[in-house]
Amino acid sequence: MEESEYILETENLVKTYPGGIKAVQGINLRIKKGQIYGFLGPNGAGKSTTIKMLSTSIKPTSGTAKIMGYDIVKDSMNVRRIIGVVPQDLTTDEDLKGIENIQMVARFYDIPAREARKRAEELLALVDLSDFGNKYVSSYSGGMRKRLELVVGLVHNPKVLFLDEPTLGLDVQTRAKMWDYIKKIRDELGVTIILTSHYLEEVDSLADIISIIDHGKIIVTGTSDELKSNLKGDIIQIEFATEAEAKKFGEYENKIDVSYPKETEARLKVKDADYELPEIMKYLVNNNIKPLKFSVHKPSLDQVFLEYTGREIREEEGGDVRKMAMNMRRLRR
Amino acid sequence: MSGLIPLTVRELRKWYRNPVFFIVGLLQPIFWIALFGSAFDITKLFSGIPKGAAVLPFGNAPNYITFIVGGILTTTSLFTALFSGTSLIFDRRLGNLGRFLVSPIRRSSIVFSKIVSTTIRILVQAVILVGAALLIPNGLKLVHGISAPDIFIIAAALIMIAFSFSSLFSIIAIRLKKQETIFGIINLINLPLIFASYALFPAALMASWLANVAKYNPVSWSSEAIRTVILNGNLSPSQFHSVMLDLLYLFLLSVFMIILTIVLSEKEIRD
Repeated sequence: MEESEYILETENLVKTYPGGIKAVQGINLRIKKGQIYGFLGPNGAGKSTTIKMLSTSIKPTSGTAKIMGYDIVKDSMNVRRIIGVVPQDLTTDEDLKGIENIQMVARFYDIPAREARKRAEELLALVDLSDFGNKYVSSYSGGMRKRLELVVGLVHNPKVLFLDEPTLGLDVQTRAKMWDYIKKIRDELGVTIILTSHYLEEVDSLADIISIIDHGKIIVTGTSDELKSNLKGDIIQIEFATEAEAKKFGEYENKIDVSYPKETEARLKVKDADYELPEIMKYLVNNNIKPLKFSVHKPSLDQVFLEYTGREIREEEGGDVRKMAMNMRRLRR
Repeated sequence: MSGLIPLTVRELRKWYRNPVFFIVGLLQPIFWIALFGSAFDITKLFSGIPKGAAVLPFGNAPNYITFIVGGILTTTSLFTALFSGTSLIFDRRLGNLGRFLVSPIRRSSIVFSKIVSTTIRILVQAVILVGAALLIPNGLKLVHGISAPDIFIIAAALIMIAFSFSSLFSIIAIRLKKQETIFGIINLINLPLIFASYALFPAALMASWLANVAKYNPVSWSSEAIRTVILNGNLSPSQFHSVMLDLLYLFLLSVFMIILTIVLSEKEIRD
């Protein structure tokens, strides 16, 4: 098999559900080894469907995808051996102990009992669950259950880990901790991670490469910085004491785009505020202008999303409402 | 069939760790035998007839419990088999199925773990049921004793009927999302399966059309095979022939259900 530089490649992946719902409409991906790749998009954008196809739980309507050279349809069994999955829903069995869940899944991969036990202990330690392995899952909190899902998804040493909305329904603190665990997994285990989220901060803080996905299509792909710099640039806002001073500033040449939202306020759209600020400062000092207030707005993924999709990322929950409600209930306990 | 053993272990753990589940499952057959077997002592209808003067519709059964024990073993297995269907639906609703579907296991092993564990449950129930039937006053009487081949025939009939019913309900549940649907279905089919069979009444007491229909009912095959063995010591050639025929039908049914389960679960099971 020829060695590809990409661990995962897709060619025009399409999924149309019965009833003609076009969940995914032609997705092309190239994902490098060791990356954290993030799909950002609102609910119903096709993120979960994409993950479900790549993780072989549903079949694509058309198109192909290969993970480490294995076709997700023709070699699905081989794909399943090298991928780890943490789906949106909780998958562990409440009626069993944490360790029993892990050992059951380890047996799915024909991992010998002793090795499975060792691996389970290591992974439980990694996500700070060492003291809870022998407890019934029904006694776990929502955050603990999500961490156990990580362990179960990693028990067979996968090369690629899929995380579908890893922090959905968790509170802010627990979410931040989850992010630390995900980074630890990448750094310590060297797993390539593909995650989906509709939380901007999540992909921004975790993903090396981000694809914005909406209506089943990838709209734009790049690093967080690249996406942000694709925006028209940074915004510098200056507030002056008087109108006269503001007028004086208007003479500032070579300026791309200056607007005056208020008579005493100038709004500059510049390519890179880091380089532009010293220039502005020099000009202000030379012309003896004393601004009252200075502020710089670096572009956020929020703005990126707005720019590319024409709307703000929806925060309301969609999808399988019944299942989601059930999951939320279990997470909140 | 990787996955079958760990998944079956999971099912059994969930069963014996849930005390309510476990005890209810064990009490049910005891109630059946104690109440149904004693309340309807139909042999009393014929108590006026002098012994040997007429051929009794209950053959040489010493009492009704002894007559229906095979039928009740079969009928309780029908009720217990429902669990294989409902638990598949619960796995789907609770998300467990999502894990199984992304694991490198045969999809049919997910369904067969339900079938195998339910069959084991049915066998445990059967042992308890027979024990209870032997213990209660005027209960099961093994007039001719019981031999190893007898036990083998009873176990074979029960395993095959339990397996077939569990497969039936699992197949129904392969794509169902609501357990209400499967309860509706079982209510619909259980009544005809039980009463259009020789489980509780002999053919001689039935309307002739019903007796003819009952011939083709798997519940009859298993009930009759077990009954013949329990009521008779050494089987006559014709009795032996009919028992073997019943077992053959059950065997063919089981094979058919296994193939159907494999085909449907590999292809159709989804989250």
